Amino acid sequence: MKNFLQLLSIEWKESRRSPLWHKNLLINLVLGVSFLYMIGMFVVLGVFLDDILIKIPVDGIDYNTFKESFVLRKLNRFLLYYFFVDLIMRYFMQKLPALSIQPFLHLPTRKSKLIHYMLGKSFISPMNLLHWLVFIPFMIELFSNLSFSESLGWSSGFVLTVYLNNYLLTYLKRTSDVDYRVYVTMLVSLVVIIGLDWFDLVDFQAVSETIFNAFFLQPVTTLIPLIIGLGFYYLNFKYLRANLYISRLSKSEKNEITYVGAGILSRFGLVGRLTELEFKFIWRNKRPRSVLLITILFLGYGLLVFPTDEYSGNYLMYILFSVIITGMFMLNYGQYLLGWEGMHFDHILTRKVSFKDYYMSKFMLFAIVSGAAMILSIPYVYFGWEILLVLFSVFLFNIGVGSHCTMFFGSLNPKKIDLSQATVFNWQGLGVAQFLLIIPVMGLPLGLFGIGVIFGSPHLGVAIVGMAGLIGLIGTKLWISLIAKWLSAQRYKISSDFRSQ
Amino acid sequence: MEIRIKDLTKTYASYAAVDAKELSILSGESFGLVGNNGAGKTTLFRSILDLIEPDTGTVQIGDFITKSSEDWKDFTGSYLDENFIVGHLLPEEYFDFVASLHGMSQSDLELKLAEFETLFNGEITGGKKLIRDLSKGNQKKVGIAAALLFDPAVLILDEPFANLDPSTQIRLKDLLKKLKEDKGVTMLISSHDLQHVTEVCERIVLLEKGQVINDIRTSPATLKDLEDYFAGVGKKEAEPIEE
Repeated sequence: MKNFLQLLSIEWKESRRSPLWHKNLLINLVLGVSFLYMIGMFVVLGVFLDDILIKIPVDGIDYNTFKESFVLRKLNRFLLYYFFVDLIMRYFMQKLPALSIQPFLHLPTRKSKLIHYMLGKSFISPMNLLHWLVFIPFMIELFSNLSFSESLGWSSGFVLTVYLNNYLLTYLKRTSDVDYRVYVTMLVSLVVIIGLDWFDLVDFQAVSETIFNAFFLQPVTTLIPLIIGLGFYYLNFKYLRANLYISRLSKSEKNEITYVGAGILSRFGLVGRLTELEFKFIWRNKRPRSVLLITILFLGYGLLVFPTDEYSGNYLMYILFSVIITGMFMLNYGQYLLGWEGMHFDHILTRKVSFKDYYMSKFMLFAIVSGAAMILSIPYVYFGWEILLVLFSVFLFNIGVGSHCTMFFGSLNPKKIDLSQATVFNWQGLGVAQFLLIIPVMGLPLGLFGIGVIFGSPHLGVAIVGMAGLIGLIGTKLWISLIAKWLSAQRYKISSDFRSQ
Repeated sequence: MEIRIKDLTKTYASYAAVDAKELSILSGESFGLVGNNGAGKTTLFRSILDLIEPDTGTVQIGDFITKSSEDWKDFTGSYLDENFIVGHLLPEEYFDFVASLHGMSQSDLELKLAEFETLFNGEITGGKKLIRDLSKGNQKKVGIAAALLFDPAVLILDEPFANLDPSTQIRLKDLLKKLKEDKGVTMLISSHDLQHVTEVCERIVLLEKGQVINDIRTSPATLKDLEDYFAGVGKKEAEPIEE
């Protein structure tokens, strides 16, 4: 136990001293507030869960027959889905804390102790605490409605299933290679299950109801998730005991060295070559690659707005969504423009690459990806010609004005990004500049549009946005030379910051 | 290509990292820099390469002041640390990029890489490992090779022998000697390994707290003198000779 606490205190220090906290107050404040907001939302969801459940129409459960257990029975119909989605989320987001014990392996502590520590620590991992947040308010109400043994039965059954999922997932993730294919398989099977249920082919809701009703009807059944959960705990333990070697635990991601379209861009001189190197960079590193994948997902973002009657003809929303559809990559990747290259910035400085060419290659990158997004979103014309017009003029604005703003703000006081770090919930590299970037990129097109509306019509507004983009585009060389000049003046500071980070 | 350093100073918080009044490295000279940790070797190299802004003074390589011109990059090859190489590329891709910056053709590049074959020992090219996945020693080989790729007139290497295996150390030494004799490359090399540095360099400069405290022509007695100096430096500061 003493060791356990010591390990915990070492880890606490690790997170306390992580460079994540060494940001300025404003950022910590913004992150803290949004974090509290998220927690609050979950608690609120928990408090109102029974009110929500009452409103959902479900066949086959009669209020008058069940009264007190009515809400619970309804909930139980969906819990199987809930835990399945939980499993998928965990697969995507839950970290395996394997490497953190690496420095202790050579010290005289029992390996089994380290493993129990590792496995025990996942009790308080965020993915588990989330369930507590939502369901504690619900359980409190449960205890006041049902008998003590019933409430206790269901509550412990629920909690045990959460931890069963936890150890099942960690075991799966440890023993199999992390792979996008597994993730896709899980998602597809979820869709298939929902489909089967929807068309009344298999009644998974009834299965779910039977399983989870049992927890409060026959509280002794809670032993089942307990035993299965312990089983997975043991499997985890056994696997780790046999494989507690650094080389096996630090299962590094298979490095992607394939690259599609090799050599095409290289034909366009130095700038083309640099752009191609950047594409390789994006493809071969997890975090920038996921930025690219998210961009593809967000191409469908417009479906939330363009087809709905609610927003029909709402140009303000059209513009806002268009900024994201064609500018997602530029904003998301470009906000860390120099931070991405923190690991090899000296290489850029000592080679004969002028800052103008350097920024020109970034511009090319933005233009290519935004252009591709523009082409792929042409089908939105199905919902009306004016949508395509908005998309196109915002696209012009994005590459003509937004790109240069992004390049400038992305070069402001950059933070080195360590690419070996996790992808999800990683705020490394974030600074005030990233927040400020929103003003010109999102605010400016809206402002320009507003001017058009005041002096004429929405169409004039859209035209002004497009014209601004066109003017920006014509001046590309000038803007880039200005940013390059600025970087040249900042180069000592930036490179020494990178070296010391 | 001559390198001239004038009134160069760089002060961090309280101590002077570099304080060089007048230091000239002649064209074709092989110049070795020794000194304990914190003596300012790397800072001096970084100032020469225009990576840090000196408080005062200038550095001139050939006809170009490094701060205000970029033309010196055409003929200066350098490798100080991993920041000089690009981790997400294959070694071949990186060499290819560097070669293209210097206008080398594909066949020039292949010829050049063939020269490094013994140095690479089959572990660098032809594999499927990205630079970041190579061992420290092999990363260093990539960096040094990229610095030598385009026949630079000036070569700046920080601790080139550290992390290399013994065979490679010997091969690199031979390569550097040959470069000096055949091509008259101006070389700046820093090292903690007194034996290697006295073997390769004809001139050794001893740095302490940023200042040149000794400037010697290498002779058979140099190694002994240097060892005596380092053994004598205040016992707490003295570090065991590495590698």
